[in-house]
Amino acid sequence: MMSVTISVVETINLRKTYLLGKVPVNALQGVNLKVESGDFIAVLGPSGSGKSTLLNLIGALDKPTEGKMLIEGVDISTLNDNQLADLRRRIGFVFQFFNLIPRFTARENVELSMSIADVSRVERRKQAEDVLETVGLKERMNHKPAELSGGEQQRVAIARALANNPRFLLMDEPTGNIDSKTANEILGLIKRLNEEKGVTIIMVTHDQRLATQAKRAVQMFDGVITREIVN
Amino acid sequence: MKPRDVFSYSFSAIRLRKLRAGLTTLGVVIGIAAIVALLSISQGLQATITEQLQKGFATDTLIVSTGGGFGPGMGGRTGADSGFRLLINYTQMINGLSPNITTSIAIIQRAGFIKSGNITRVTTIVGVDFAEYSDIYSSTFVNETGNIPLIPTNETVVVGKRISDPWKNSTLFCSADDDVEIKWTNATNPFQPLNETYTGHVAAVLKEIGGFGVGPSDSSVYIPISKAESFFGTDECNMIIVKLKNDDKATIDSVSEAIKEAFSNEVSVTSATAVLNILSSVFSIIELFLGGIAAISLLVAGIGIMNIMIVSLMERTREIGILKALGMKGRTVLMVFLGESAIIGLMGAAIGIGSGWVLANVVALIFHGGGVFMEGNQAAAGAGAGGMTITPVLTPTVFLGALAFGVGVSVIFALYPAWRASKLKPVEALRYE
Repeated sequence: MMSVTISVVETINLRKTYLLGKVPVNALQGVNLKVESGDFIAVLGPSGSGKSTLLNLIGALDKPTEGKMLIEGVDISTLNDNQLADLRRRIGFVFQFFNLIPRFTARENVELSMSIADVSRVERRKQAEDVLETVGLKERMNHKPAELSGGEQQRVAIARALANNPRFLLMDEPTGNIDSKTANEILGLIKRLNEEKGVTIIMVTHDQRLATQAKRAVQMFDGVITREIVN
Repeated sequence: MKPRDVFSYSFSAIRLRKLRAGLTTLGVVIGIAAIVALLSISQGLQATITEQLQKGFATDTLIVSTGGGFGPGMGGRTGADSGFRLLINYTQMINGLSPNITTSIAIIQRAGFIKSGNITRVTTIVGVDFAEYSDIYSSTFVNETGNIPLIPTNETVVVGKRISDPWKNSTLFCSADDDVEIKWTNATNPFQPLNETYTGHVAAVLKEIGGFGVGPSDSSVYIPISKAESFFGTDECNMIIVKLKNDDKATIDSVSEAIKEAFSNEVSVTSATAVLNILSSVFSIIELFLGGIAAISLLVAGIGIMNIMIVSLMERTREIGILKALGMKGRTVLMVFLGESAIIGLMGAAIGIGSGWVLANVVALIFHGGGVFMEGNQAAAGAGAGGMTITPVLTPTVFLGALAFGVGVSVIFALYPAWRASKLKPVEALRYE
């Protein structure tokens, strides 16, 4: 008997068409991708290649036009808005522009994602300190984003993404907005999370150098995957 | 997200924009303050007037008078066109109408003058049976100085407090045991008015009553009914006051009907309760009107809230996108926005109730000052109604109503922006610059 393992993320002939003004844009034209637990995959491609659209679909922020977008075996097309919101709580988002809430401190930003997921106050506090320690920012957890450097802000964003023990981290150009030295540190952190804590990571980037650090990389062009590299 | 977390999130958003939130709150404060001030003053006024009427009226009495309506009959008669005359000796007939009637007394009153020394003052001369009058108005027809004789002589005069002490100081116009001149102008023949005068003896000065109504008044002069009959040259009275065994509605209604029937509907019968009812319905209308005006200002505040929430929605589109990407549900976003407006409404209502209450008391204080002034004038004119003190009343209904209204208006006007926020698509919201 064959044992069936369910992929964390699986896309089957995924298509997405949206309207740019009145012009239909075929952002994704049949993407097939599987991400297993413990993976570290980089999605490479120039701007307009459809990688951001793919990221939005994997993040359950949007629904496909055609094909299947499975997260842990569940087709997101079949979910309503509330179910999608529940699903997103199990996905750790890291955005290029950090997207922290400016009026909250680092700790409060991390706690926010947990309070959305109904985690109790006491547990939230403890978990926030733990993940901030993981990203090496425990000492500065009572600072607001404006008082933190770009690298530090991105660490807070990663801590926030980790807070709810997500099935995978979804990163959109995580080093796109910080200097190269800090970018290396962040990349080191991401690799460590993957290797030591077994966190599944899907990272979108246009930086070839970054892609070499991932376990595997897929190259996108004009809405399809053109190449897959296993490092 | 737990309600407490939603609340603290909403609160953090308000705190971020203190000035804006403060100004929005101010709108609610003004609206609520206006409502509370107007309602508590008008309710206070109603309570004052009701209380004073009750003092003057005695609820277990009926007033029988000629004519179509309630006329306390200050001065001349209110005779009906039919030529019906309400005679003094009808009291005996009325007494026999119902076992619920204790007694009834006739009252003759005319506008007249009282002279003491060189000063003449305008007054109302009231002819009553002293024994029965003091029985009916046992709490108000009470002597302060001197004695009210139950069997008076023709010269006996009892004066109200404002007649004796019109200026509210130690300078008295007259006091017990003084001789005074009672005067009225008999204008039965309008072409030949006749001044009639006699010298009376002040037997007693009444305690201050302060109320107004049909009962004893601070600015009247009381003479025996028999003297009034001869002095005014009439056997007709202005009204007959009927005292009942109790003030049940059933008793009042049945006796009223019996009296009207006995006089073939030529008389009108007025009960204190009926007057109070009319008064309270008039006040309900006034309150509704005043409350309505104040409510308009609150509606303006509501539009302000809506405006602010829409601006806030635009500014925070990206934030909403982040919250949704983190897994916040649409309805939680809705609650966050409604929470913000509810907090603004609650704060505005709380401050508004407080400042409305202060405002009501300040107005009452000014009113009271004016009242004293007015009273001075009236006392000089001899028709003083006694000073009126309004104590603003803040009933639990007004308090809770204002609170609910403030929060309600805020939340209702925030519904649309909150709904729009909850419906934002996460992808588009995140892309929003």
